[in-house]
Amino acid sequence: MVKKSLLALGALLLLFPSMAFAADGDGPTNTMLDMGLNALWILVAGVLVLLMQGGFILLETGSTRMKNAGHVAGKTIFTVGLVSLVYWAVGYGFAFGGDAGESVNKWIGLGDFFFHPPIVASDGDSYPSTIFFVFQLAFAAVSLSIAWGGFAERAKLSAYLIFTLIFGSVIYPIIAHWIWGGGWLADDGAQDYAGSTVVHLTGALAAFAATILLKPRIGKFNKDGTANEILGHNQVFTSLAVLLLWVGWFGFNAGSAVSVGDGFFGYVAFTTQLGAAGGAVAALLISWLVKGKADIGVMLNGALAGLVAITASCAFVEPWAAVVIGLVAGVLVFLSQMFFEKIRVDDPIAAMSVHGAAGVWGTLANGLFATKQLVERVGVGKAGLFYGGGGHQLWVQFVSVVVCGAFAFAASFLVLWIIKQVIGLRVTEEQEIIGLDLSEHGNYGYPEMLKKSGTTSL
Amino acid sequence: MSNLHEEKRLLDIAGAGTPERLRTIREEEQNRLKAVLSSSPAVELLRELNQFHERLIVRAIQLAEEEVARRGLGAPPVPYAYLLFGSGGRREQTMSSDQDSGLVYEDPSGEAEAERLRHYFQTLGETVVQFLIRCGYPPCEGNVLASNPEWCLPVSGWGRKLDGWFEEPSWENVRHLLIVADGRAVYGDEALGERWRARFHRDFSGHPVIARRMMENTLRHKALVGVFGQLLTERYGEAAGSLDIKYGAYIPMVNIFRLLAVRAGIRETSTLGRIRALGAAKRLSAKEVKESTEAFTLFLKLRLLAVEKDEQGQWTGTGRFPANRLTKEEKSPLKKALKLARKLQRQLEGEMRYRFGGR
Repeated sequence: MVKKSLLALGALLLLFPSMAFAADGDGPTNTMLDMGLNALWILVAGVLVLLMQGGFILLETGSTRMKNAGHVAGKTIFTVGLVSLVYWAVGYGFAFGGDAGESVNKWIGLGDFFFHPPIVASDGDSYPSTIFFVFQLAFAAVSLSIAWGGFAERAKLSAYLIFTLIFGSVIYPIIAHWIWGGGWLADDGAQDYAGSTVVHLTGALAAFAATILLKPRIGKFNKDGTANEILGHNQVFTSLAVLLLWVGWFGFNAGSAVSVGDGFFGYVAFTTQLGAAGGAVAALLISWLVKGKADIGVMLNGALAGLVAITASCAFVEPWAAVVIGLVAGVLVFLSQMFFEKIRVDDPIAAMSVHGAAGVWGTLANGLFATKQLVERVGVGKAGLFYGGGGHQLWVQFVSVVVCGAFAFAASFLVLWIIKQVIGLRVTEEQEIIGLDLSEHGNYGYPEMLKKSGTTSL
Repeated sequence: MSNLHEEKRLLDIAGAGTPERLRTIREEEQNRLKAVLSSSPAVELLRELNQFHERLIVRAIQLAEEEVARRGLGAPPVPYAYLLFGSGGRREQTMSSDQDSGLVYEDPSGEAEAERLRHYFQTLGETVVQFLIRCGYPPCEGNVLASNPEWCLPVSGWGRKLDGWFEEPSWENVRHLLIVADGRAVYGDEALGERWRARFHRDFSGHPVIARRMMENTLRHKALVGVFGQLLTERYGEAAGSLDIKYGAYIPMVNIFRLLAVRAGIRETSTLGRIRALGAAKRLSAKEVKESTEAFTLFLKLRLLAVEKDEQGQWTGTGRFPANRLTKEEKSPLKKALKLARKLQRQLEGEMRYRFGGR
């Protein structure tokens, strides 16, 4: 019955296309259609960004050891849940709340706590605020998951819990407010289209603070300062992770257009692809040239570094510049990984190199490559050094990197330092050797692969 | 080595009645050589060291013959030759080299004789290997030893074995051929040793394509120098920053010149000797001979320097050299030598591709 009527309806629609539109007068207006399209795209983009968590799960799990697999993977889902509640209750209000007076608003937003949005968009909105919230929340969760890189394989579950509370409610929202929420750096014209600084650098510096306070994993460095290689247990996971992140990144960058309009978000997607490609290619080649072996791990990090770098600049630069930004990011991530190892910072999933070094580079790259036409189109800041803008934009970018970086690092360090003093950050040596699956959760992620009695497996 | 010292050593060795005594003599001599290592020319020192090893090995074989006779098997029933492979075959043993050996004996005249000879030489091979272990030469991990029946055969048996390897150049068989290519008789009937070697060279000239298989078999050991001329050192672990001199410098050169020499029908087994002979046969230019000799001499020296005595007093060679402790001036000849090795490797690869096609 239903099938028959659907068939009939379909046939009628083919014969009389105009029937699809109801009679004049009570149909949607153009503005409403525009809003609807925006809403649809932003929600799709938000879902893509949320799917990037799948990438982080596989990336972090694949790059670490079997005995921690269940913990590493599972805690990401838990903290995504926790940060959603915290961001809903407090974080979103600090980032985008509009009730603060002008002088306060420069530093922090107020309002919209325990966010209770209107159920649909009202007249004149370009999208429903519900969808904007979901989209922004997904970004906050990404930044948090980046930070976990610095915690990997040795932090207590309680440290994850407390840090999520503070990071999701205060640290991340303040930086998001400064650049995206009408804060002082937005006024300054800092260009960070989709969050090289806001999301990636912030996460990376939280990771940096964590790894300094946690100290290297057992067995990473020898007494004489030489490093040991602690290989991840599954390179296939890591590769799939990069693909998931890469795909999700189209939501991250192209979604940041927060409109469909004339299709500018397509240009953003286009430069994003070029940047990622450049990063992957350059990283593999540089590792091959310098170390004599083409390193898969470095190549994967290169793809991510290309994505991180192009995130700030995807809407501001020409295609060739997107390629250059990606290529430089790929080389940079390789050098940065060696640098961190040299200064004896244990960074199991290269969060500081991928999201930190490449995040800085991507943000600064705007100061070099931003074109006048695209800057006018987006409406933020000025053209870069190579496009007649002089050093002004480069300086603005530099300031935003330094200030946001310093704040993110200092705030994270303070919070983690307090946690360390009060309850401790790191599991005991014995627990670390047994693995966090067992010590924090009571079961292995791969129960058939590891015996509970086998406490010596590193 | 002063003549006086040398003569005393000779007498000591000749007078040694047990492997343990040989070991003591070896300890003294190696301690002495180790002390003068950094101040003396590597080639000279290596020659001395290898002559010394050779005399010890020969004496150990003689002691083993006596031991076998004491057990009632009598003197060697037919002429035989004790073969050295690996670094011993190439006269490039360090202070920590292990044993790679084989044995070839005259063909038996009948079934019963065959069994008797097999038993005798099997016992002799086992005894020599055991004695040399007692002298401090660890056995080859791949069991290329005179005590292994596969490597202790009459002349005709060796011939069939070699033919089989040449006919069926699987990865394992080619590895065996590479080992045999460095083999030489260290003791026993020299003419027999020569016949054994001649068979290998005759087979080789009948199977020129084996050269490519040999090259493929050795390609995984690349000269450890990068595109920018940088040293490719270990990145991780206790040995981080050190260069794998054995597999990243010495072995690639050994492989290159073994292949070139065997193809030119040169019977010499030491790498420096092969380089010289290749020059004499006009297969290498005078400049190439000079450069290759310099480069290989440096690798030999570093390889000797990489030998240490561990806590148990055992001589061990990691084959790794802490390149990060070298000064810039010291690094430059090393880089030059490695670049030459890399260039030669590439040339050989290109030539093989040209002659036999790519794969």
